[in-house]
Amino acid sequence: MVEQKNNTDEASNSNQDSIIVIENLTKKFDNNVVLDEICLKIEKGMTTVVIGPSGCGKTVLIKHFIVLLRPSSGEVYFKKQRIDNLNEIELNNIRTHFGFLFQGGALFDSLNVAENIKFPIRQHFKIKNWSRIDKLVKSRLAMVGLEGFQNFYPANLSGGQRKRVALARAIALNPEVILYDEPTTGLDPIRADVINELILKLKRELKVTSVVVTHDMTSAYKIADRIIMLHNGKIIADGDANQIRNHPHPVVQQFIHGQVDEDDLAVLRASGTIFQTQFLPRDFEE
Amino acid sequence: MIDMVGAKTILGVSNTGRFGRFVWQTIIASVQSFTSTKMYPLIWNQMNIIGVRSVPIIMITGAFVGMILAVQAYDQLASMGLEERLGVLINVSVVKELGPVLAAVMLAGRIGGALTAELGTMNVTEQIDAVRSMGTDPIRYLVVPRVLACLFLTPALIIYADLLGVLGGYFVGVVQFGINSWAYWSFSASGVELWDVVVGVIKGFFFGAAIAAISCYKGFNCKKGAEGVGRACTEAFVASFISILALDYALAVIFKSIYHAFWPVKSLV
Repeated sequence: MVEQKNNTDEASNSNQDSIIVIENLTKKFDNNVVLDEICLKIEKGMTTVVIGPSGCGKTVLIKHFIVLLRPSSGEVYFKKQRIDNLNEIELNNIRTHFGFLFQGGALFDSLNVAENIKFPIRQHFKIKNWSRIDKLVKSRLAMVGLEGFQNFYPANLSGGQRKRVALARAIALNPEVILYDEPTTGLDPIRADVINELILKLKRELKVTSVVVTHDMTSAYKIADRIIMLHNGKIIADGDANQIRNHPHPVVQQFIHGQVDEDDLAVLRASGTIFQTQFLPRDFEE
Repeated sequence: MIDMVGAKTILGVSNTGRFGRFVWQTIIASVQSFTSTKMYPLIWNQMNIIGVRSVPIIMITGAFVGMILAVQAYDQLASMGLEERLGVLINVSVVKELGPVLAAVMLAGRIGGALTAELGTMNVTEQIDAVRSMGTDPIRYLVVPRVLACLFLTPALIIYADLLGVLGGYFVGVVQFGINSWAYWSFSASGVELWDVVVGVIKGFFFGAAIAAISCYKGFNCKKGAEGVGRACTEAFVASFISILALDYALAVIFKSIYHAFWPVKSLV
């Protein structure tokens, strides 16, 4: 009886701490099931990393958190309020609680760095004191190590700088949750680590809840309080870094060690040697 | 075969429905935008890009329309001794039909293509999703300024095209073929009514709205990749062009009916 009560308390505490709750989320594109009955709770103040092979639906999953995509079935809750059934106008208010770092940065090409960061502020507030906004832009750029880049245009920035500016824009409205879509993809290991440190710094200084989609295991181990793995539209592993390292599921082990599986090797073997499949110019001459 | 026809029909109906919903959302957001001072700089900026920068190309188009009409019509009128009535033919054609239609076609190419490519690229690079993720309605922020700029400035551009068309026709008729200047203008004045000019300008509102709505819709719904953006631009131009012609026909019928309905009243006045 006492044990049952403890379990109930634990469950209710867990629900209390969950800032985002996903219940039985299924997403289909035509007949292709990308997410299959996913249930997930994201705890407040924690960094949750979603890993999985390319195309397994990681980005699709986090886009549901702010209803950039609508579920085929299932429910999405933010702070206990169901949000997947809200209209776009109601959602706009909810979305101001989130920051979203897109894979390619998604900076507006026609605006410079400062204007990009000011964008969400201009959209939601009547600005009377522009010097305060300039200071805020400066402080956000300082947080991501790009002070003095206000007048640069996205086209003149490197991939890493673009992601850092996008991060500065994502935190412009002091969001409670930041969603990162492959923040380190396409960056060299040093730049990738700069982004990892930034994610940790934001968690430390702004106390934000983070959800990071990645297939970079170095990054995942460094920043994650919790790691979940998606495979074939389902969550097949959920735990902290150590639990994932020692997870018994063969697909998890294969993924975290970056090993090719036997099926792929069999396809490669069946395709014959490269020498046999190469053509020379004379092969096309009559 | 039946499957294919059925699938195409369903696709066509659902695309029309999506476009209708897009247009409705744009109308609602446009009405709301008039009360928001934040929108004015965006609309002003688009007016500069869409309207002001199109003036030279529209004027060149208008001038050549008038000049070509004069060259083609002169011989036929001269063979009947009616060359002094060249102005009527050119000016009615320019202000009522050719000026508005060719200016709109030119705008569909210059503005429509650019709008689709810009919004299509924003769609492919997730910039439209980024706008949504920051709690802003992308239709209000991206579509409304472009549609309103096109809506208000296409009629103004048509006036430029008409003006240069009239001057182009005058140049060829009077300067090149030596028609009497006074006769040219006096026949023109008797043949062209204010109604003709107004009809041409009113058509501009419809053409402008159609070009912007179609181009923005195609940009918002383009497929991923460079090919997707390219295809969307082509589709936007073709759809805009056909819409201009279809609208021109519909408006010609409607305005003709209105004109005939009020013709007896006008003669009494």
